[in-house]
Amino acid sequence: MISRWIKSPFPKGVYYFSGNEAAAEGAIAAGCRFYAGYPITPSSEIMERMAVRLKEVGGIFIQMEDEIASISAIIGASWAGAKAMTATSGPGFSLMQESIGYAAFTETPCVIIDVQRAGPCTGQATRVGSGDIMQAKWGSHGDYQVIALSPWSVQEMYDLTLRGFNLSERYRVPTLVMSDEAIGHLRENLSIHSKVEIWDRKKKRGRPPFGTEEEGGVPPMPAFGEGERLLVTGSTHDAFGFRKTDDPEVHSRLVDRINQKILRNRTEITETEDYYLEDSERAMIAYGFTARTSLYVVHQLRKEGRKIGMLRLKTLWPFPEEAVTTLGKRVKKVIVPEMNLGQVAGEVKKFCACEVISLHQTNGEVIGPETIMEMLKKI
Amino acid sequence: MSEMRQVRLSGFGGQGIVLAGLLLGQAGVMEGKYVTGSNSYGAQARGSGCKSEIVFSDHPIHYPHLIIADILVAMSQGAYQTYDEEVKESGIILYDRGRVVPNMELNVKQLGVSATEISLKKLKNKQVANIVMLGALVETTGIVSPRAIRKAIALHIPKRFQALNLKAFHKGMELGKQINA
Repeated sequence: MISRWIKSPFPKGVYYFSGNEAAAEGAIAAGCRFYAGYPITPSSEIMERMAVRLKEVGGIFIQMEDEIASISAIIGASWAGAKAMTATSGPGFSLMQESIGYAAFTETPCVIIDVQRAGPCTGQATRVGSGDIMQAKWGSHGDYQVIALSPWSVQEMYDLTLRGFNLSERYRVPTLVMSDEAIGHLRENLSIHSKVEIWDRKKKRGRPPFGTEEEGGVPPMPAFGEGERLLVTGSTHDAFGFRKTDDPEVHSRLVDRINQKILRNRTEITETEDYYLEDSERAMIAYGFTARTSLYVVHQLRKEGRKIGMLRLKTLWPFPEEAVTTLGKRVKKVIVPEMNLGQVAGEVKKFCACEVISLHQTNGEVIGPETIMEMLKKI
Repeated sequence: MSEMRQVRLSGFGGQGIVLAGLLLGQAGVMEGKYVTGSNSYGAQARGSGCKSEIVFSDHPIHYPHLIIADILVAMSQGAYQTYDEEVKESGIILYDRGRVVPNMELNVKQLGVSATEISLKKLKNKQVANIVMLGALVETTGIVSPRAIRKAIALHIPKRFQALNLKAFHKGMELGKQINA
């Protein structure tokens, strides 16, 4: 399977876009031609732009009655051969969990953008949070994998939505873009290049759509209407899609493969960025908007000669455990600032041998530089 | 221009604070600067206190929100009182003369701009007070070029209102020249 380069559907240039607008444009560039959604603050601008842009590029846009219908529609569209997306925020993301499990088990490529707000429940609709990180991984029942990406800029709302589609197509897995209100509503420079690299799901006539010879392989995916015999079910199924709901071997083989196809390719999927880690004694591990604050603080402290660095997680799931483990061996202390009660800090503790300090804030506001500075003074 | 400049536009919802911020940020991007912009969102943007914050830099911006203002624009008394002390000493405050009674004890340069008055009397439309203010801001601070603002107006303002907005912008620039003389 290989990628191809296509002409960008949006003219090359530098724009002053919001994160949400950029995400919609990234989806269009990736080849998304189907959007089903239900508007919710702070994600609605994605839906608004998709409504305009899909009409221009000959795609389909549907406003659904709720988020359950929205994700169900994109799963259906994906099996009809379209690249499909929905976007939401916490309350809608909660409603989608059952079907995210369905998409994972039926190996349906699709992209879900969660522009996180302050939860739980309806919480503070217009305020920021990142409390959905663990839900992204564990929200549906059973053992399955998703891919979850964490943009920290308007540019990455475009880039990572585009990459999200590519990963989703390559690995036949639901891919989540875990944004937040502060990035979704931020305006910033967005560079769009003349060409974009895109991946499409593999097709092989006559080959079973739910099984491969290789362990952890990704089977080809036909679409309804292409003439192949096709059964899609959320119950345990064999390589050809036939329900096998009491065969222990079929079940364990399938569950194993849908997990291994992601975990075995973890180094290909996960991306992190290092800042000043060569000689750091302390390091922050951050993602999303909070990584912007963290990097600002690191720069300020470096000017004072303090040995501090940062590891930024661009991918949250599968968790970049190699990078975190390596860092844990290199530094004495790791600080994890985040807009929840320590969801990623808990994961970091699993892989870091050194001391891990969680700096959490759940007041509906971004973590500012002074908050991190103060915290660092105390430790 | 110094490396980084932080601008806070403030007033109440409905005065076009967010639009003025959009035009200012867009103009910066058109001039090749790095820009980040964030606005009041939700209920604030539609009635009570409203702000739009834009950071300009020659280099990529790490922390994208405003930390302390180099420039404060206050279009209402409430906004002025909320933000007047969060301005650098080397900074500048522009306030709407008809709406704000300034605190003259502040150790910051302050300029009164009759934005709402000019908008009502000369342009017969109070909705362009924000653009009059934008003209004064560009003239007195040089934060972006007038040409870039004109391009931003062409991009973001519906055609039928462009002439009015351009006129308001130029009135604002004239006003800026007078008060800063």
